[in-house]
Amino acid sequence: MCDGDQKGVAIMAQVIADRRDVDFVLFEQLDVEQLTQFGKFEEFNRKTIDMVISEARNLAVKEILPTQQDGDSQGCKFENGIVKVPESFHRAYKHFIEGEWLALPEDPEYGGQGMPRTVALATSDFFNGANYSFMMYPGLTHGAALLVEAFGTKKLKDLFLKNMFTGTWTGTMLLTEPEAGSDLGRLTTTAVKNEDGTYSITGNKIFISSGEHNLSENIIHPVLARIEGAPEGTKGISLFLVPKVWVKDNGALGGFNDVICTGIEEKMGIHGNSTCSLTLGGKGQCRGYLLGEENKGMRAMFLMMNEARLLVGMQALSCASASYINAINYARERIQGRHLLKVMQPDAPSVPIIQHPDVRRMLINMKAYVEGMRSLLYYVGLLTDKAAQTDNEQERVKYQGMIDLLIPIAKGYVTDRSHDVCNNGMQVYGGYGYIREYPQEQLVRDCRITMIYEGTNGIQAMDLLGRKLGLNQGKPIMDLMGEVQTTIAKAKEFETLKPLAKDLEKALNRLAEVAMTLGASAMSAKALNAFSFAVPFMEASGDVVMAWMLLWRAAIARQKLEGKAKKKDQKFYEGQIKSAEYFIQSIIPVTMGKMDAIMISSPSIVQIEEDSFGGK
Amino acid sequence: MDILVLLKQVPDTESMISIADDGVSIKGDGLKYVINPYDELAVEQALKIREAQGGTVTIVSVGSAKTEQAIRTGLAMGADKAVLIDATGMMIDGLGTAKIMAAAIKELPCDLIFAGHRAVDDDNYLVGPATAEFMGIPNISMAIKAEVQDGAIVCQCTVEGGTKDVKAMLPALVTTQRGLNEPRYTSLPGIMKAKRKPMDVKTVADLGLDAAELKPLVTIKSMSQPPERKGGRMIEGDSVQAKVAELVRVLHEEAKVI
Ligand SMILES: Cc1cc2nc3c(=O)[nH]c(=O)nc-3n(C[C@H](O)[C@H](O)[C@H](O)COP(=O)(O)OP(=O)(O)OC[C@H]3O[C@@H](n4cnc5c(N)ncnc54)[C@H](O)[C@@H]3O)c2cc1C
Repeated sequence: MCDGDQKGVAIMAQVIADRRDVDFVLFEQLDVEQLTQFGKFEEFNRKTIDMVISEARNLAVKEILPTQQDGDSQGCKFENGIVKVPESFHRAYKHFIEGEWLALPEDPEYGGQGMPRTVALATSDFFNGANYSFMMYPGLTHGAALLVEAFGTKKLKDLFLKNMFTGTWTGTMLLTEPEAGSDLGRLTTTAVKNEDGTYSITGNKIFISSGEHNLSENIIHPVLARIEGAPEGTKGISLFLVPKVWVKDNGALGGFNDVICTGIEEKMGIHGNSTCSLTLGGKGQCRGYLLGEENKGMRAMFLMMNEARLLVGMQALSCASASYINAINYARERIQGRHLLKVMQPDAPSVPIIQHPDVRRMLINMKAYVEGMRSLLYYVGLLTDKAAQTDNEQERVKYQGMIDLLIPIAKGYVTDRSHDVCNNGMQVYGGYGYIREYPQEQLVRDCRITMIYEGTNGIQAMDLLGRKLGLNQGKPIMDLMGEVQTTIAKAKEFETLKPLAKDLEKALNRLAEVAMTLGASAMSAKALNAFSFAVPFMEASGDVVMAWMLLWRAAIARQKLEGKAKKKDQKFYEGQIKSAEYFIQSIIPVTMGKMDAIMISSPSIVQIEEDSFGGK
Repeated sequence: MDILVLLKQVPDTESMISIADDGVSIKGDGLKYVINPYDELAVEQALKIREAQGGTVTIVSVGSAKTEQAIRTGLAMGADKAVLIDATGMMIDGLGTAKIMAAAIKELPCDLIFAGHRAVDDDNYLVGPATAEFMGIPNISMAIKAEVQDGAIVCQCTVEGGTKDVKAMLPALVTTQRGLNEPRYTSLPGIMKAKRKPMDVKTVADLGLDAAELKPLVTIKSMSQPPERKGGRMIEGDSVQAKVAELVRVLHEEAKVI
């Protein structure tokens, strides 16, 4: 706005995410413009994408970021079944849906924008970084609408899709029950078929994000439930669409559909998003539509899972990214202590803390992870676009396999590391990092849940080891390793990158060995032992993927530096090479050690008697 | 109603500005550019009036090829079309810009013109009023309200310490002041549509102007950065009372602010 910070937003060089880095990944590393080869995306050249990202950033900084603190300090209020979101969320939500940002990649016929997912992901880097507890309202709406699009009949699509993609109505995801968290097979919500083809739903759901609130007049709940008489376990679960307010066949709102919010949780972070307990059919008046086939509910969920998990990775990354940007800005300004080489000189001036080796260590660590993770998430986005658009079946299978393989890393590894980054971000601030007035502690708290929901990271690691590694006889992991090899070969063309490329190659080969060994023992009598190393294996895999992404970046940077890079870009490119150096020389040796530990596979974890844990 | 908006592309207020080696211009390299914030108000007001009365909104800008970006943003907000006068490489002052604007507007249907009261880069408050002068139409400056009523534009404008109500018959030129409206954000469909909206590119020669008439009357002799902010100063004193007394003295005698 005029004269800068009219709305109280601190204007500094960069906030939330470094635009230069976002552009680097989109245009220099992934060449997202390649998607224009597909008819559907032919309009999305660099100019258009630039404009989209600029506007997303603009909206994020001016309208959403100012709600970040309110979301945390005011939180959601529950009274008599009604949940009120923080006041400032209303205005931000209005702007967000008026700009039609909710369903970027979806079908324009139903209110989407037909945009590449990779670009949508880049916009959500800014949106989520501005306030992700706010973004969960539109985010879950998008996810719920995707279920309607994929599994709904024509009638359901016509009734619900447009209102959801435009954010007029919001959406949720009702899976969890008190006895059914990681193991959804134990859920007890039941469905009974009515004469008109709808189902009567009865049950209690807990921990439901955006389950009740006053941002929209209707809330559409996809619900997992068991049809009366269906088999036990996950095989007997079906998916239903249950609106809070019934929608008549002519599209008009009908009566209340007996979905009652009985309370919201007090929690560690994401206070701006309501986490609700919902009772469905407490008065026997709750109806829903079947989505897809009876007893195929889990399969439907699986189809949407990749997308949802990628977005959780993005939520976490955006916390990490914001924390990093805050930390570098702070470290440049906070004056404290003399320069290490001048500590003995009493009259030496105090210096900005960015000059202290330990602070630099934290900053470069944050930088390397944020960059590597951004590349990884956008890369999965790009694979998703390509898998959806290519008409070459072989390519499609390849892309899909790599997506499936990378998702547990994009969720499990990325959320773990993002939380570490946020912790470092707090540490850089010293005591101020722990104080509410500063942004860092909120990011630590907000980020933490991403390691738990949408499948805990323990479950992610088991998915990687138990399902993804052996997928299609291990073809995806071979394909992935092939891609890493390509980058290694490219990097070896530059004399200065050769040592890094060789180190990565060693780690990659070791990972292949570890994967073979652990994968085999996961399917043997030593399965328990193997799975007790599922998380370390996810970590090692993630580390290698990070190193790959960073070396890939460094190779591009090297190439640009040897050409005619603009002066401002030079520092950026040099920074890319430093990230790769740091990670490969400082983190990968630790990864090699982690892999040694996996190969040892200490049986202590499995062998220790429950009583030996003590505490009794 | 045919409404024109004079729009300038300026460096983003978030950008770090540095002076170029010639000492009389700024380094363009690596700068991010945006619509001049006061011109955003102008676009918004034009759109509001078009929404109420019907008609077209045309953006007119003097700049270079890269100005298209700002123009497209205006089109994405909802303007219908644009004219860009490409003056790449020419040294032009505010008066020259106004001459070009007046010449360009002569060829366009025009009932009402909005412009920012100043551009945040050069800050010379000139182009709007001078364009009106060259066109021989009324100018109203610093409007915080602007409504079309019976062939006239009725405005409330800021003046030192207050406001005044002014009216002019159309066609007229109005410059905007903060408070006039809240510019809308560009919507995604807006961005996609903007790509297909017509933008005429003309040169100064196309408008029948020659370089001699545009020779700047004002030349920049040199540029300098504002002085660096000095560190804070701690007020010394034995007691709170003494410190306060000293603070008041310093503010009064040295800083001369109270
Ligand atoms: C703020 C918040 C928002 C949420 N939003 C939603 C929502 O919108 N919709 C929704 O449906 N749910 C939501 N949830 C629920 C969330 O997805 C679950 O809490 C999560 O899946 C874990 O389930 P649980 O809490 O029952 O933990 P449990 O399943 O009891 O897990 C406890 C621990 O045991 C481990 N564990 C469990 N089973 C295994 C196994 N087989 N092998 C190895 N380890 C195992 C877990 O990894 C974890 O460490 C939300 C939760 C929170 C806190």
